[in-house]
Amino acid sequence: MPTRPARTSSRPKTPRPPEQSRSQDDPRIMLDREVTSDLYEPVPPYPTQTEREAEFYTRGDGEMFLNVGPHHPATHGVLRLVLKLSGEQVVDVDPVLGYLHRGVEKICENSDYYHVIDHVDPLEYVSSLFQEWAAVLAFEQLMDVEVPPRAEYIRVLSGELLRIASHTLFMGFLALDLGGLTPILYSFIERDEIVEMLAALTGARMLFNYFRIGGVNGDLNHEFMSRLGDWMSRAAKQTEANTGLLNQNEIFVRRARGVGVMNREMALRFGVTGGNVRASGIPFDVRRAHPYSVYPQLDFNVPTRTEGDALARYLIRMDEVRESIRIIDQCLDNMPDGPVMAKLPRLLRPHPGRAWGAVEGPRGMLGVYAISDGSDQPFRFRIHDPSFMNLEVVPHLLPGNLLADTMAIVSSLDPIMGGIDK
Amino acid sequence: MAVDDRRPRPTRAARAAASAAESTPGSAAGAPQPAAAESQLAPLGPGELTAPIVVPNTLWRATNPLAYDGGRPAEITHLREFGLTDAGRRDDARWGAFQVVPTTADNILDLIRSNSLWPLLSGLACCAFEMMSGATSKNDMDRWGMFPFRASPRQADVLIVAGTLTTKMAGPLVRLWEQMPEPKWCVALGDCTVSGGRYKRSYSTVQGIDRVMPVDVYIPGCPPRPEGLIYGMLQLGQIVKDKRGRWPEREIGPTVPEKI
Repeated sequence: MPTRPARTSSRPKTPRPPEQSRSQDDPRIMLDREVTSDLYEPVPPYPTQTEREAEFYTRGDGEMFLNVGPHHPATHGVLRLVLKLSGEQVVDVDPVLGYLHRGVEKICENSDYYHVIDHVDPLEYVSSLFQEWAAVLAFEQLMDVEVPPRAEYIRVLSGELLRIASHTLFMGFLALDLGGLTPILYSFIERDEIVEMLAALTGARMLFNYFRIGGVNGDLNHEFMSRLGDWMSRAAKQTEANTGLLNQNEIFVRRARGVGVMNREMALRFGVTGGNVRASGIPFDVRRAHPYSVYPQLDFNVPTRTEGDALARYLIRMDEVRESIRIIDQCLDNMPDGPVMAKLPRLLRPHPGRAWGAVEGPRGMLGVYAISDGSDQPFRFRIHDPSFMNLEVVPHLLPGNLLADTMAIVSSLDPIMGGIDK
Repeated sequence: MAVDDRRPRPTRAARAAASAAESTPGSAAGAPQPAAAESQLAPLGPGELTAPIVVPNTLWRATNPLAYDGGRPAEITHLREFGLTDAGRRDDARWGAFQVVPTTADNILDLIRSNSLWPLLSGLACCAFEMMSGATSKNDMDRWGMFPFRASPRQADVLIVAGTLTTKMAGPLVRLWEQMPEPKWCVALGDCTVSGGRYKRSYSTVQGIDRVMPVDVYIPGCPPRPEGLIYGMLQLGQIVKDKRGRWPEREIGPTVPEKI
């Protein structure tokens, strides 16, 4: 064996005798054996613990299991779906969650109230402002803070911008899961423009940490307004052009129509919110049902459809993009002057109590339930994420469909694994 | 390797005849004797390489125009003939003039690989969106050959770990890494994968992916901008060029520090 030449990297390396690293007793090279023996056997590996699991992992005549994920390009994040197939048809499905569980709630309960806003950001990482918004709504109720009107308008303005970015990405991913590569290129153009203008406002592209208890972190600046003006001058036209990519695509429409139909009763029973429930004929929108911020003063519609299939869920979101553009227009028109932060002490110690704050995120009702025990940290910080409810209906929508429609259905429900696993 | 196709290649018999005609006392000293060399050649087996591999000397020109046979191409055009003659043992430096470059394949393939690093399409969390943003219209990573995000680890060169790695996902990710064929590289994208980042004190995350797999490039940021990813991938290309052909020195397998 030739001698090892000198490493080109200048980074110091922990010296390690080679014979030790190759030894059989070294736990570092036993990983492969452990992996194949105990932990990651294919289905059905586990001693079944519930009756449901025992029923699922009992294979009938001519049935087979197919393991999709946790790494799979079409799942939205690290989701594992164990499909039970009969030929090309899905018989049953067992979703396995928790691959992105980061313990955010526990971290938030050990942070003070200012830090919580930063820690809830990566949950809904496509539209993180809404998660911040729910947290600050709950905290403002706990502390009885009055938010200046200019800050409320800035919140609505930036939130609706991010809703457009999220819905545009949804369009791209839905088309990608159905086999079309082009729409995602267009949707990332829109998304990049929006997050760049929000970066001019907040300083970050994705995890903004912009909302504060009692306001927002900074006032509107010139670069943001200039980018926003440029974008608004062609936003409506560009949205029509982007939706035209799919609305008039016969392959897309035929594959999405009638697939994964969620009826009214199922939507109500599982607590589905957002565009998914509005596509099933229930006009539930938190902005209307439980108004917050300045939404009562704004004029917008709640688009509703009755079909409840993947195409309706897609069309609902495209309608919401048009409504969001209207809301942004009104915000710019009615933007009041004044401060953007309420006066608050450095150390926040709310009285003992509990509060619930909910906003309408791009995927549905994002809620935060916070309990204060009088200290500077929340005693309990419970996050209600709509993606979890949206994913809950997947095992009831998939059976009977073809394998190729699986990802179309999952994608049309628009789950984000960061919020599901927390 | 390039084949010199600037002039038609004469057949072996024609070359032997030509060199026999030229082998007069006035010809250049030290010219090999192909006729003698050919008589020693073992017969080629079926399917063996018969086309000669020649790298023309375009790198430098001798100061003396008469040196090295006046710059004429060599009679010996194949490593088989080269090994059978004493051409390599003579001190006329003819074969030092890059007529034939004996090298390892990795030395040249790594130059190609560094310009075509194919990442694995694997996103774990938030950073995956910045990775996709880097791959799509505005920041087009395809310009540096980094685009085709392969869905199968068998076809990928680079594992870009984009997002928080939890303990539950660590096993599948290590398995993905082990399924990738050598040579392979790993890029840690974002604070979570570099050191644990904002989840350093969480009970369910791996605090830095270099606890479970070797890492070539660390890209900090929460999340990094797509330009940061592109810069990191360009740095990775430079690493591949710097270390080319020296693959056995790479550490294989999990590099878990001692006390963890």
